[in-house]
Amino acid sequence: MTTPKHFLMLPNYFLADLPPEATLSPAMITAACEALRRNREKYLAPRKLEDIVQLLCEVAGGWLEPDNKYRRLALDSFRSAGLPAQLAGDPLAPAGAAPGAPGPGFSAATVARGLDDFFRRFTPENFQALLAQDLGDAAAATRVAVAEPSGHPPQAARHFWHGPQLLVHVAAGNIPNPALMSLTLGLLTRSAQFMKCASGASLLPRLFAHSLYEADHKLGACLELAEWRGGNEAVEAAVFAGADCVTATGSDAVLAAIRARVPSHVRFLGYGQRVSFGYVAREALSDEAVAELVARLADDVVAWDQNGCLSPHVIYVEERGAVESDRFAQLLAVELMNREAAEPRGPISMEESAAIASRRSIYETLAVHRGDVKIWQSQNSTAWTVVFEHEGRFHFSPLNRFIFVKPVPDLAAVFPGVDELKGKISTVAVAARPERLKDVAAQLARWGVTRICPPGQMQNPPLTWRHDGRPALGDLVTWTDFEFEPQINTDDHR
Amino acid sequence: MAENQPVNKHRMNKALSSFAARLRLAMARQAHHLDFDVLALQLYALQFQLNPAYGKICAARGLTPGTVEDWTQIPFVPAKAFKELEFSSIPPDERTAVFHSSGTLEQKPSRHFHCAESLALYEASLWPWFAANCRLPLAAPGCAEPGCQLLILAPPPEQAPHSSLVHMFETVRQNLGAAGWRSGRSVFCGRLESHGAWGLDFESVLALLKPDLPSPIPLPQLILGTAFSFVHLLDFLAENQLRLKLPRGSRVMETGGYKNRSRFLPKAELHALITQQLGVGRENILCEYGMSELSSQAYESDVQAPGSRLQPRAFRFPPWARGQIISPETGREVADGETGLIRIFDLANVYSVAAIQTEDLGIRRGDGFELIGRAQRAEPRGCSLMTA
Repeated sequence: MTTPKHFLMLPNYFLADLPPEATLSPAMITAACEALRRNREKYLAPRKLEDIVQLLCEVAGGWLEPDNKYRRLALDSFRSAGLPAQLAGDPLAPAGAAPGAPGPGFSAATVARGLDDFFRRFTPENFQALLAQDLGDAAAATRVAVAEPSGHPPQAARHFWHGPQLLVHVAAGNIPNPALMSLTLGLLTRSAQFMKCASGASLLPRLFAHSLYEADHKLGACLELAEWRGGNEAVEAAVFAGADCVTATGSDAVLAAIRARVPSHVRFLGYGQRVSFGYVAREALSDEAVAELVARLADDVVAWDQNGCLSPHVIYVEERGAVESDRFAQLLAVELMNREAAEPRGPISMEESAAIASRRSIYETLAVHRGDVKIWQSQNSTAWTVVFEHEGRFHFSPLNRFIFVKPVPDLAAVFPGVDELKGKISTVAVAARPERLKDVAAQLARWGVTRICPPGQMQNPPLTWRHDGRPALGDLVTWTDFEFEPQINTDDHR
Repeated sequence: MAENQPVNKHRMNKALSSFAARLRLAMARQAHHLDFDVLALQLYALQFQLNPAYGKICAARGLTPGTVEDWTQIPFVPAKAFKELEFSSIPPDERTAVFHSSGTLEQKPSRHFHCAESLALYEASLWPWFAANCRLPLAAPGCAEPGCQLLILAPPPEQAPHSSLVHMFETVRQNLGAAGWRSGRSVFCGRLESHGAWGLDFESVLALLKPDLPSPIPLPQLILGTAFSFVHLLDFLAENQLRLKLPRGSRVMETGGYKNRSRFLPKAELHALITQQLGVGRENILCEYGMSELSSQAYESDVQAPGSRLQPRAFRFPPWARGQIISPETGREVADGETGLIRIFDLANVYSVAAIQTEDLGIRRGDGFELIGRAQRAEPRGCSLMTA
């Protein structure tokens, strides 16, 4: 076990920084929540939104620098000897995590790419677009220079908004970006925040929180992160009791369990299980364009090793393109093989590995008997797998770079196969010429898909992304409608 | 399907029959010295030739009887592929039984086809290894005459004709009867519920376990059932505040697997409850590992193979079947103490495929394995739906 030296320079600041032997008590949590509320009142509530945006952009800019302390810590911890950080006896191993608790293991290259994609979105323009989209002209009144979306002059704005005083997040552990985004949104609503990290997955949220704390101690004083194995009812009750709003990400069962324990006056925002797929129209399968298309879809499979809700399980490919669907699958396999050299898949658990091996052996067997089933796979590892089959039904991938390619005659043929997943599909990456793209998107939207994006962008939604079709920032705030006689001077509102 | 028709029915019958007959003889002799390697290669040559769906897979892998030198190189098929393909050397018109994989949620079950001869082999395989691991015969304390009362926590054969497990229980029942032991009423106390799941007839169970008029020298009980049936029984006993003390020498055999038919109990907890509520100690609880695609079973018990050094408690197959623990990453056998997928070579699968790859994880322990269970992601990493 080696301790990265630069980590020792980090202060022991958050509950998640405590050594593993420390146990959290409800009283500690209640005290932390009270401190958070006080700090928010003093340091965050009066803060100008534009200053918060600026700070976020500066911190994000730091994370994009190769020598940034936090970035290096993040990458180093994933670099250890081909084992997930917490299994390799990493010094950042989470407090209170059960030994061998499943946690994300990614290669440093995968983490680097994921962090770059994420933090590059942090620009003043992108934040302004988000504020304008979710808060409209009220955001303009906060003096962030946004366009006037509604045409109202600022002095005619008729609403006030405020965020939760204490916002509690129950974060999932599959990939880190959603937790980072949750913290970001909470800062924009000037909320004190308490994040319960998934066991084995607190590292990146902690590093992000430390980077904010370093940039602005007062703002950092409005954040708390802790890690425990979900289901610690006494501790969780203390957190929920202190909250004005709780967000939770996880399986439907986990969300239902949390929802039942959040007091009824507390707003609950649950982000449940979703799956995603790709759709390739035949005109996108030209000889000239196919290499670029394959590279982009490989980006989607490789990003966070396919572990997010926005990662594709299946790519539907229209038949009779210049490049046939099985050839496309083969090209994708070659691309995944090449990616493995540059950006290897992270270590996975025995269960995940066994799930891939089991799935492979079925398709290997079927491939011998059926001309319409083909499989390409890495040798002596489960690093990547492409299965091609003429079975339109959506199949869940065992993930970790295992992708199904399914030929279909047209988009209409996709819908029966995903029917059982209505309301559970998040993202569809569509490759089509502009003239057809709009029509395909309209059909997908009508069916109930909540996000349509270009290939290569599945795991990289913009800040304005409406999570599961809901405004992620807008859902946090509470409005005060202000109806006034025209002669009243409203210049002074915030 | 034409490709599933045996090439030459008569020759097949003869060659496979003769192999099956030799094997049955060896089983009956409890043959620990049986030449597994030679038999495995002989059987492979037959199955390559006479089991078309399997032969095609072997040919595609470039592993023909001429090139395979060792039983570990013999191509396997995944147990789950029995859902998709007909791995059978028995012509369709000679198939008299088919065993399906269990699980009420299975839309498309595995199909393991049988004929009279293959069933005879199944029965010949299961009985001696069961008897050895159960340390039969049982006898009441101080009683020289062997005897026991059999209680089966599963539906009777006529209600579950496609269950290889029920067929096994029925075979055990018949063999116990044939042995001419003193026996009580042997009863299948399970029943098929309207939705297809297995339930228990608690009244019959209680009548057997807690008779109104206990005999002065009660017969030991031999209770066979799935883990979920035992959970049903234990829950029933707990609800009714009943705590039994079965006669000394009683045995319990549980076969793992819950298939969402009851709440899940870790094995140690299940066994502790059996001890607590039925009064049967750990040393008399036997675990079985089997599946519809196999004809032999592994047991975890205190029984040791004769002549072997004392081994830790682990699942072991009879001499005519072998388990291997395979790394899912490399496809190679793991070292002792390491985890991987369980692969089984079962010589008794003469008429289907001997080399079966399961989706169960196990830890290699000496000549046996410790069962971890089905390879699935208990809690998916994050928010993906991993139900399929």
